[in-house]
Amino acid sequence: MSTPVGRRPIPRRRVAAAALGLAAFLAAVVAAGEALRHPHTPVSDIPEAQLAGADPRDELVCPDPQPREGQRRTPDIEGTAPVRVTSNDLFDCPEAYDGRRVVYRGEVVGALLERAVGVWSQLNDDVYAELLGPLPAHRDYRGGNAGVGVLLPHGAVDLVSFIGGPQTRGDVLEVVGTFHRVDPTGEVAVIHADGAQRMADGEPFPDPPLADRRLAAWLAVIVALALVTIERVVALRR
Amino acid sequence: MLFRPDRRDFSLIGFYTGKVLFGVGVAMLIPAVMAVALGERNELYAFLLSAGLAISVGRATELLLYTRESLSTSHGLATVALSWLLAPIFAALPLLLSGHYASYLDAYFESMSGFATIGLTLANDLDHMARSVNLWRHLMQFIGGQGIVVVVLTILASAGGRIGYLYTGEGREEKILPNVIRTSRFIWRVALIYSLIGTTLLWIAVIGAGLQPLTALYHGANLFMAAFDTGGFATQSSSVAFYRSVYVEAVLLPLMTAGAFSFALHYQLWLGRRSELVYNIETRTIATSTLVMFAILAVGLARTGTFTEPGVMMRQGFFQVVSAHTTTGLATVPGRLYVTDWGVLAPAVLVTAMAFGGMAGSTAGGIKAMRIGLILKGVIRDVRKVLLPEDAIVVTTFHSSTRKMLTENQLRAAATVLLLWLVLYFGGGLIGLFYGYELQLSLFESTAAASSGGLSVGLVRPALEWPLKVVYIAQMMIGRLEFIAVFALLGYLLAIVRGRV
Repeated sequence: MSTPVGRRPIPRRRVAAAALGLAAFLAAVVAAGEALRHPHTPVSDIPEAQLAGADPRDELVCPDPQPREGQRRTPDIEGTAPVRVTSNDLFDCPEAYDGRRVVYRGEVVGALLERAVGVWSQLNDDVYAELLGPLPAHRDYRGGNAGVGVLLPHGAVDLVSFIGGPQTRGDVLEVVGTFHRVDPTGEVAVIHADGAQRMADGEPFPDPPLADRRLAAWLAVIVALALVTIERVVALRR
Repeated sequence: MLFRPDRRDFSLIGFYTGKVLFGVGVAMLIPAVMAVALGERNELYAFLLSAGLAISVGRATELLLYTRESLSTSHGLATVALSWLLAPIFAALPLLLSGHYASYLDAYFESMSGFATIGLTLANDLDHMARSVNLWRHLMQFIGGQGIVVVVLTILASAGGRIGYLYTGEGREEKILPNVIRTSRFIWRVALIYSLIGTTLLWIAVIGAGLQPLTALYHGANLFMAAFDTGGFATQSSSVAFYRSVYVEAVLLPLMTAGAFSFALHYQLWLGRRSELVYNIETRTIATSTLVMFAILAVGLARTGTFTEPGVMMRQGFFQVVSAHTTTGLATVPGRLYVTDWGVLAPAVLVTAMAFGGMAGSTAGGIKAMRIGLILKGVIRDVRKVLLPEDAIVVTTFHSSTRKMLTENQLRAAATVLLLWLVLYFGGGLIGLFYGYELQLSLFESTAAASSGGLSVGLVRPALEWPLKVVYIAQMMIGRLEFIAVFALLGYLLAIVRGRV
């Protein structure tokens, strides 16, 4: 089959050079991004073991053995003394803690949702809640958030001054209540709290403006405006 | 016979890719405005920088590679694939600069997950993320759901009728209106009308859940984009469970379903042909499949004693099945519980639902109801052939806007693509096994990535091995573009190396 008329393939060397140039430009974009990140050192003095997040390959260790599908599960509830738990405990072994009185501690995040039955809250007990503090105030990345939905009594709302969110670290509450794998309203894996106390105060956390990022931004805007203008002028002349 | 690409080929592909990058840059100005309003200064600078870069690269490319030539099929497909590779590079920059992503790879993963409407996330500490950055995550889903290439080029319209092949390259095969530009603008009109209605309803539901009006509007808008574009990102780490509201879930259900409807079906409904809901092969397939899967899921959850109340089973189980089947990925249940509390059968149903996916020509992913429906019809036809006399002629038809005859070519195409999807699902699952994850988890996550299902059992997390992140990124892109565009780009790369002069 003969080459179609009018085709003039670009030499491979020029294609390779262009590809390398494109790759270099993209690498420069990535490098610029890295250079303009928040100027914190990505080091933590908190022991690794204390920060270990849930790895799906980790073997589950539950108070009661996980039965096979179809077998009845009979959780062994030892008395009524509340047991201290984390969100990992509750989600790894929901059947074991279903109906048990638990003590749970976490940062209030998102919002407090007032209902007739109480106030729904999300309490996070991940490393950002107390150990490390929220991002981007540091660069110690330890995964996503982990937390449990907690139904607080109406009076507990008065304990909360700060709710965790953008640029705010929320109050840390400790609640005592009953864990429900499925509660009477149909909510899954939640704690109905009898009482709560504030263990740590939240606060706004500063994110001071970064001068180098501001400069880079304005430079990029100026270049973009210039190119847009040039393109428009050229297009009109065409 | 592959011919080595010439200047014309590079100009065409580069020119239209540049337009797409320009459009993505302009889109980043929306969260920039929000950053101004909320006083998120560092995020504002990040968006201005990223937008400026994308706009500059886009315009420079258009200037240098200007062409009046027409796109061919292969050019269009290669442009789409290249755009989908490059756009997330610029879209990832504000994510990286937000301080919530450990590396550029993680930010790129998030961008691809956004544009491809997957919903898997590598964000660290999402609950403290700046609102403008969260808005950008959801906006990427909205843009990607409508097809970033189609979005940009219909708005810029100067490509005129030449963008037909770009439309096809993004996995949309059916032209609703005679002109592709008009089809694309119709898609946008549907999206905007649903936006208005859906956001309003969600806003009301979220206010009812207990949020303040302004905050509720922010949540409502983001929830809408996640649901209608079957994206699955959420503003809070607990996803839809955060709202503790059956009303929010009730509004999300029809929105997710609408997102999984093809735009061709929306057009029929727009014209008042409601009977299409009943007769369309895809609606029938999805409806049947959803009900069957919910029934099996219910059996599974009943056996494990997870949900025993019918009301709770309906609320939690049905929502998850619809979320999976529409490949949205919104969750009312912590993902870890799929592994620790849902047994084996119920998660397998979710995997199957994600694998099946929504309708062709919708924002949903997966194998697609059309292909499943056609293959089932083909099986029934073959069974009938066996049972009927040898000289009997068996004619099988199906309804999709109009009544059509089922042909061997359609069956073969459907079966071929089904096979490609299965290879994609299992291939990603195998690589997960290599890294020591259990089969159930590997397959779940691989299917979620490839089908844009987006539900997660916790395997996808910032600590995930980087080769797996790369694998999932590739799966997301290949799944979203439904193979052909990616093959076209690879074909061009092969032609550069081995093509004839």
